[in-house]
Order: sequence, then structure tokens, then C-alpha cells
Amino acid sequence: MFKESTRTQARSKWGGFLAVQVIVLAGVAASWGVLSSETRQTVRNAGGGRRAAVPIEFDEPLRIEPLYDDPQVVSDEELAAVLAKVRPKFPQERRRPNFVEHALRTWGVDAEFSDPDVMSGIEMRDFLIDHGQFVASWGKKTPALLQPGEGGISIRWGKQPGASVHHDHLLASLSEAGISRNQRVYAMGRRGATFDSILQQALLDVRLDEKEVEWSAMAFALWLPPQKNWTTADGRAMSFDLLAKRLIRGHGRFGVCSGTHRVYSLMLLARIDEMMRTSGDKKAADGLLSDAVLVDVYDHLASVRDLISVSQFDDGSWPGNWYDGAEAVDFPTDEEPYKKVIATGHHLEWLAIAPESLHPPREQIRKAAKWIIQATLEQSDESLRKRYTFYSHVGNALALWRKTHPADFWKKHQAEHAASSNE
Amino acid sequence: MLVVLALAVVFVFHVFLPLWHTDLWGHLSFGRFIHSTGSLPATEPLMPLSEGVAFVDTAWLCQLLGFLTIKTFGHVGIQFLYAAGVTLCAAVLAWRAWQRTRGAPFVLLAMVLFLWVGWQYLAIVRPQLAGLACFVTLFALLTARRWSNVNWIAVPVLFALWANLHGSFLVGLAMLGAFCVGRGCDVLRRTDRFAAVIGDRDFRRYLLLTELAAVAVLVNPYGIGLYASVFSISANANLTDIVEWEPMTLRMKHGQAAAIVALVLVLLYRVSPRRVRVAEILLLAGLGGAACWTSRMIIWWAPIAAYFVGLHGSAAWKRAARRKSPSVNLLQPRLLWTGISALVVVFAVSAKFFEPALQGQGQGSRASLNRSRLSPVTPVEAVKHLRKFPPTGQVFNSYEWGDYLLWAGPPRASVFVASHAHLVPREVWQSYMQVMNLSTNWDDTLARFGVNTILIEKQRRRGLVARLDADDNWQMTYEDDLAVVYRRIVPIGAP
Repeated sequence: MFKESTRTQARSKWGGFLAVQVIVLAGVAASWGVLSSETRQTVRNAGGGRRAAVPIEFDEPLRIEPLYDDPQVVSDEELAAVLAKVRPKFPQERRRPNFVEHALRTWGVDAEFSDPDVMSGIEMRDFLIDHGQFVASWGKKTPALLQPGEGGISIRWGKQPGASVHHDHLLASLSEAGISRNQRVYAMGRRGATFDSILQQALLDVRLDEKEVEWSAMAFALWLPPQKNWTTADGRAMSFDLLAKRLIRGHGRFGVCSGTHRVYSLMLLARIDEMMRTSGDKKAADGLLSDAVLVDVYDHLASVRDLISVSQFDDGSWPGNWYDGAEAVDFPTDEEPYKKVIATGHHLEWLAIAPESLHPPREQIRKAAKWIIQATLEQSDESLRKRYTFYSHVGNALALWRKTHPADFWKKHQAEHAASSNE
Repeated sequence: MLVVLALAVVFVFHVFLPLWHTDLWGHLSFGRFIHSTGSLPATEPLMPLSEGVAFVDTAWLCQLLGFLTIKTFGHVGIQFLYAAGVTLCAAVLAWRAWQRTRGAPFVLLAMVLFLWVGWQYLAIVRPQLAGLACFVTLFALLTARRWSNVNWIAVPVLFALWANLHGSFLVGLAMLGAFCVGRGCDVLRRTDRFAAVIGDRDFRRYLLLTELAAVAVLVNPYGIGLYASVFSISANANLTDIVEWEPMTLRMKHGQAAAIVALVLVLLYRVSPRRVRVAEILLLAGLGGAACWTSRMIIWWAPIAAYFVGLHGSAAWKRAARRKSPSVNLLQPRLLWTGISALVVVFAVSAKFFEPALQGQGQGSRASLNRSRLSPVTPVEAVKHLRKFPPTGQVFNSYEWGDYLLWAGPPRASVFVASHAHLVPREVWQSYMQVMNLSTNWDDTLARFGVNTILIEKQRRRGLVARLDADDNWQMTYEDDLAVVYRRIVPIGAP
């Protein structure tokens, strides 16, 4: 009798215990089951789980085509002369990634040159995505440009030797140059990586309020559509609306190259939005930006148009403080010549992909082009090498105004030049 | 009788306290958002600079109830809820202390110490108070003389409610864990056998109760995601700049109060004849350590420490007096009527207070009355000025006033920061600190964010006020004894 009672008590004791365990397990399972995929991801991340990759549909980036072919802005001869000046001729030793990035975005992956001292598009690309080539130029003591990260490969950027200068500039340059997402990338300690590894890491790393988001916005817009939203490493829901609003925010003087890259990136977002809306693809029919933000973007670009319409110097150049409008003509700041090259070259670049409604009078554009062509051709090779990044934009901008790309034009020009030499 | 009167005093005192100017208004703003949209926001919905920041609203139920209260009863409703909340905590603590000591002076002592040590945080009206009520209730259930089977239902239900009221349910789980581990240690110390621990009925009860409580927490809109969120909030780097998240020191008033109570506890443990359970030590040391780590944890230590002071103080006193305290039955008719009479007195005293809510009043007098219900550092007039002349572009405001600006400011005002600092992106928070500390390029930072309007405290931010006064880009457009408003002469982004 006693034994029976003890057994019953024990059974009841363990029965209760097991019942609670079942309740706990069922509760956890049910709770997990009803979670949205985003919340599940958040929980996984909190537990140290790996983040899911952002889905990207296409293997090639979008390409923004130029809109105008105006020989009065730049003639064939002038363009050839300027492009000859900005050919990527960099020393093998301590080759600066920032220069190569600028050259690559201007010339593209397909660029080829007869001069063996000039880097081809493939060579420039490989320098940026192959750690071996980076070591050959910088030695083993310099930290790698490509750094393995949690979600892929990150780029070392900043002012240190051998670093890419701006956040996501390398990414944006390779994207503008037309790299494939499946292109193999050789980083130390990361086998089988592709360009997608860099892109995915960048999507995680972007922080809306960091100093510069110009290149992040550009690169993501060239790859993600029709996808418009993703989540960053710190759990923030990111969208092109947010990026556009961030690019509009604040005084015009902020941002790289006198704030002109913000303008270029906004124009690029607007163009991609237009491409999506007119593509006929149902998934892309809503565009990249919401209607309200798109209006804000165009209003902002129109205000830039108004400012540059009244801030141009008589010689055709724009001052570094173009954002001050008419006052800038009387009170220009920092008017070292290269500041004017930056402002003028960059404005010509975004205007080349902008609709005419966002242009100042065409005569102003032509004057600006004439000034910058002369300013570029006057530069000694040494001086131009020092400020290559600014002049590379000039080459690109002028080619766009002839509705072409530097590599295409150069190829044609070289062929014609060779033919005429033979004659 | 004395205890009931003391509770009445606690209620009356708190019901007349003006509403604090910080968190409350942010919570009410979230409540308003939930009420108007009928859903919980997935990302921060009120501050444009925080757009997209993931938001797990751990206090959604409190916020909604708070909003419905203020919508129906006005400020007086919130004051009533606040006073009722504090009184409830004190009453539950007093009830449990009374049951264990039967000595009114020690019950009073426990109440007073609880209010004294916790005052700095009790004075702020926010959902944490609901969490504290749950915490004290749980503590009362766990410290009952006898186990009640009602606990199997009451504790999980309490946690399910708690998880929707405030993120502090984790402290409750820690308390359950402390009781479980403490019981295990007690048994092990007594028997020296692990098998005895497993076989101990109370140990198993605490263990199972902890499990049930942990799973009951899952009954919330975020499910298991709530756990991850609560942990991540306390790890947010922005919070290190906020005083209440700093370590507690003796320079803080509550630090001094806690030190004195801790000293008293040490002395009492020396003279108390009561057996000291391990759970008690774990709770005092654990929550005390947590308070040393971040001072806002003192709110959880306060009731525990106060209770044990009462408990051991009573035991030590009894031994010293060598006499037994007379047993009192709370339900004795004489005492019951005394209690009811005391409550009538309380409401009679408070009648003047509730009058406007019960009878309704003219708009003008209501406005002045409402002003008196707000803490004197609430920027009521400055915010009215902003409503009258709405700001364009980004507003820069002190973080303490962000909540009130969200609640009472112009619709769609772009508030820079508010007291939900963990929802502010790190770079935005750093920029805020940069401006407030007048670090290098503080003015560039304002321009970078497109700030066209500034609302700050006049005295507390004297340095910034002086710099703005001297800056040609800014013009003061409003000033009173408390606040100043500046506007950029040439607004950024203006057409």
C-alpha cells in the first residue's frame, strides 16, 4: 500500500514536470510559428545567426544611358584630347585605389589602350578585386583592401595608405563600370567569393546618417531594382526613399566635391525610377521611389538648377560654393582653380543624364564645357596626375554629352586615328 | 489603521504631483499612434531621423491605456493612474510585510524606505510603474507563508500581462530564478545531497513556475522576438550618455539612500534572529549589483530591500523586546470600518482635485489648471509658440523635451531626439551630443541636418544659448524663463 502510494506520488510528480515541459515547448514552437520572417531574422541575429542575403534578380548592373549628343558642347577633337589626358596611367607601386576606381568608372571594364603603360579596364578591375594584385603594388605590410566581413567582403576605406577613400566608392565604381555580380573576387581568407559578396556586405553595412551615402545609394540603385527595401546589420529598414531624403537633407555645401555627388546620385535615382516605371515590368511599375519622395527629388534638383543658373562665372566655370546662388559670383570661396574644375566637371556630369527641364540654358552648359576643356588641356601631366580624380569626371561628363562612353569613343577614335595614319 | 492612513497619504501626495516632463509624453504619443492606426508600429513612427529603425514596443498596452485615459479624463486621469500605481506598489508591499511581521511600525518603515530609495524613478510617470506593480505583486506571491496552487495560474497570467505592459518582465524572471536557485542552495546546504534538491517540492515548484512564466511572456504581439528586443535595448550605446543608465554613485540622492538602507540591512542581519534564505541574498546582491551597474535598476532593489529591512527589523525588535506583537486581524469589523473611513477621507481630500474631470470646466480655466498639472519644467508656452508659428525643416531640441514636443508640438514637426534614445540612430545621437556639448563644428552639424529651428532650455544650455545669440545665422523668436526658440534667418531647403 505504501509502495503504491509512493509510486503514484512519483508518477504525479514527474507527470506534472513533463506536462510543463510540453507546455513550454509548445509555447515556444507556436510563438516561433506565428512570427513574421523579419522578426525571425531579428531573433536569429540576436542569437548570432547569419543574416539572409538580400535577393538580387540580375547579374549585371543597370546602366544609365546619356541623353544628348551635342557637338557644340564638346567636339570630337576636344573630347579625344581630353580623354587622352585622363587615360589611366598609374605607377605600379603604391597604386592608389581611389584613382583606379575613378578611372574605372570613367572608362569601364571594356576599355583597351594601345599604350602598354595605360591600364585596361580589366586590369583596373582586377587591381580592385584581387588581393594578390594589391599586395604586388602595396606589399604585405599594408592592410588588405578587401576585408572578410560577417556578411561578405568589406572594403577598407578612409585616409590610410592603400585604402579606398570613400565608403562604397569602390562598389559604386565597379558597378558603374559594368562588373558582373558573379565576377570572382580574391580576398585573403575568403574562397569562392564573388562581387556579390562585396555588395551584400555593403547592404548590411550602410548607415543612413554616416558622412557620405552618395556611393552607397548609387551602387544599390544600380543593382537592387525591382527590390526597394532591405534591412541593414543594425536592423534598420532601409529603402531608396530614405536614401533620397538623406541626400536631399541639409545645406548644399555638405557632401563630397562641393556637394555635387549628392546631386548626381539623386539624378541617378530619379533616372532609375523612370526606367522602372516605363519598363512594362509589373514588379517595377511603382518605380524606385514613392511618389511623394520623387516629387521632393525633382524639386530639389530644380532648386540646384536654379542655383547654378545664377552662380556661373563669366568664363563659364562654376564656383565651389555654387549652392550660394548669385552671391557666389561676388563672394566665391576657396577659389583655387581645381575647386572650379570639381564643381564644373561634376555639374556637367549630372546634367548629361538629366532631363532638359532640369537644365540651365544650354548656352551656359556650352560655356561651362568650353572652360573645362581648356582648363583640362592646360594642365601638365604631372598636375593632372595629382588631381586625377577630379579630371576623370571631366572626361566622363564630356563623353556623356556626346551620348557615348569614354571607352567606346576612344576605341572608335583610335581606330580612325590608325586608319588615317595608314593613309 | 496607521498603515491604511499612510497609504492614503501616499495616494494623496502622488495624485497632486505634477506630471513629469519627459518619457510620459513620448509614451502617450505612441499610444495615440497605436490608437489612430489600430496597429503597432514596426519601425519608429514619430521622429523622421529615426525612420526605419526597428521598434519593438515593449510598453504598447500601457501606452494605449494611458492614451485612452488622457483622452477620456484629461491630465487628471493620468495623475490618478500614477498615484494609484505607486499606492498599489506600496500597499502590496505593506500587506505582505504586515502578514509577515504584524508590526505596523515596521510595515511603515518598509513603505517609507521603498518610497525614499526609489523616489528618483518613482517620480517619473511611465510604464515602468506598471512593471513595478507586477514585480511587487510577484514578490508578494513568492514570499507568502504558504504555497498556494493559485500561483500556477496567477504567476503566468501576471507575466503575460507584464510582457505587454513593460519590458521589465525580465527582472521578474530573474526573481523567480533567484527563488529557485536560492531554494536549491538552501536544500543543498541542509542535506548536502543534489538528489535532495531535485526531490525538493519547493525547488521544483519554483523551477516549473519560472518555465511557465517564461513561456507566458510569449503571449505578446512580438512573441519570442520580445526577448531579443529587451536585451538589445539595454545594450544600446546611446544609453551610456543618459544619467539614469549610468552607474549609481554616492553623489546621487538615491545612491545615498541605497547606501544607508544597505548599511541598515547589514546591521539587521547581524542582530536578526530570522533565518536568512539564499534567495534573499541573491535578490539583494543581484539587484543591488545591477543598480551599481546602472542606476535605474535601483527601482527594483528598493522594494526588496525595504521589505527585508521591515522583516528583520521586526524580528530583531521582537527579540529585543522579548514580547510577541499582538496579532491583528485585518478583517476585524472595527479595523475594516476604520480603513473604509480613511479611504472616504482620502477621496474627500482629493475631491477638489477630481472636480474638473467630474464636472467639466471652461476652456480657459481648464488650460491654466492643466498647466498646473504639468511639471514646471515642461515647455508649455514655447511649444505653443511653435504651434502658432510651425517650424520648417528639421527641429533641434533637447532630448528631455522631445517627448512633449511629439505630444503637444505642431503636427509633423521633425523632432530631433526624444527620451526613447535607443530608437535614435547612433550617428544622430552623436550629432545631438556634439551640438549640446558645443564640440567642434557643432554649427556645421546643425546645417548638415538642415536644422532651421532650435528649442532648448534657457538656463541649462546657457553655453549654446550664448553661441546662438552671437551667431548671425540665428534669431531668437521666443523666450521665457524656461525655454528659448531660435530660427535660422535663411532657412535651409527653403524655396
